Amino acid sequence: MRPYYSKKRLSIIRAMAPRTYLLALISLGILCGCSVTSRLEPYKQTDAVLGEDDRVVILPRRHHASHEAERSFVDCVSNGLAQGNEGLGVHISTVFEDRLYPWFEPSTAPLSIDDFSELLKKPGVHEQVRLSKVRFIIWLDGSTDRVASGGAISCAASPFGAGCMGLAWWEDDARYDATIWDIRDLSSAGTIYADYNGRSVVPALIIPIPLIARPQAQACRGLTEQLKQFLTTPGGYEPGPELSAN
Amino acid sequence: MQLMQIRAYWRQARLLLGVLACYLLGGCAPVILVDAEFPQPLVEPLPVRIGLLLNEELLAYEYIERIPQQASYTIRIGNANALMMNRLFQPMFAAVESVDDLPLAQPGSSRIDGVLIPELERYEFDVPIGMQDEFVEVWMQYLLRLYEPNGELITEWPISGYGKSELTKTSDRVNAISRATVLAMREVGAVIATKFAEQPEIEYWLQER
Repeated sequence: MRPYYSKKRLSIIRAMAPRTYLLALISLGILCGCSVTSRLEPYKQTDAVLGEDDRVVILPRRHHASHEAERSFVDCVSNGLAQGNEGLGVHISTVFEDRLYPWFEPSTAPLSIDDFSELLKKPGVHEQVRLSKVRFIIWLDGSTDRVASGGAISCAASPFGAGCMGLAWWEDDARYDATIWDIRDLSSAGTIYADYNGRSVVPALIIPIPLIARPQAQACRGLTEQLKQFLTTPGGYEPGPELSAN
Repeated sequence: MQLMQIRAYWRQARLLLGVLACYLLGGCAPVILVDAEFPQPLVEPLPVRIGLLLNEELLAYEYIERIPQQASYTIRIGNANALMMNRLFQPMFAAVESVDDLPLAQPGSSRIDGVLIPELERYEFDVPIGMQDEFVEVWMQYLLRLYEPNGELITEWPISGYGKSELTKTSDRVNAISRATVLAMREVGAVIATKFAEQPEIEYWLQER
């Protein structure tokens, strides 16, 4: 009898295994894939595009200390714009700030294109801007914040083994505004608003399985794509919200 | 036998926890040497000759703070003070000379119009304790005193700066404190470079030259 049961159990397991794995994979996919929702609102009000020798600089807005754009996010967008076959000319933001020191520090940076026009009148500023070959300044404002969290995981260890049990989750919201100035025409070229909301889950059944959503990384990718389109497409850039749930 | 095995496990676990805690605290007692390249300000020089006195207190400035349940931090800012002050003041005035003492030896015959003595009055910092905090913050307050060559005080001006730096995979607490300090110093430098001539007493003093 024993071999019969073993064989039967084995055959059931064999029959169920592909379905179980498929189900597990689908569940994982749903859990991971549905965890980030995004909203992008681009608005372009000129036909200006980046010329062959022109560069762009990405600067974080730092005049309010509570929610300034993270330096890592600025670097991510800068690198994203510069990389690839159709990479754009990107001026390193810290080099630009050093070149024009002290006029792009948190307390002195221009808040509007009119302020920037005034700044150009100061001795040496116009020359440094010209030498930098920067055509567009992109100001990044916003941050990634934890908006909710819950659940709990309990872990225990003994000399004979260890394990965890429970479920923890959290929700991060990455909200960024990119304001683009055309500093050759001294005008505001447009804005792009990006809001990525991601929920991460860590179920633990002996071993914790982290299913992490990365809204900041997705916001970086989404914003970079939109900025590339913004800076290279003269017309036909349709304004309006773009909603999606991945 | 089993009890001995449990004790051995416990000893190993305690050692591991100790090493882990030390590692997480950044070496238990980190010494941070703030060092950076400070840019020269892009400003029009004021038509005065300035003597710059950087005293020993500023050049050897060291801030020590013990944070409960964390570590004892030693932050050395003296070298950065010297770098920043020399880079900052050179383009701000028609001429800048280093001076060692005040009043100047022969104030009447001196080519120097005034003497500046900067002082770092306050330094404060905040490092994240919880897992959710991601930023190191630094506040600094300098006091800038302007004297006549004969040692008479013209004015003193407090200037504050704030710096914030993100903790990332490549930037630990030590790097983040150093970077936030540099940002706070840059902010102080920016205020000095752009607002120096606008201070009422200094404006009046400049008009008299």
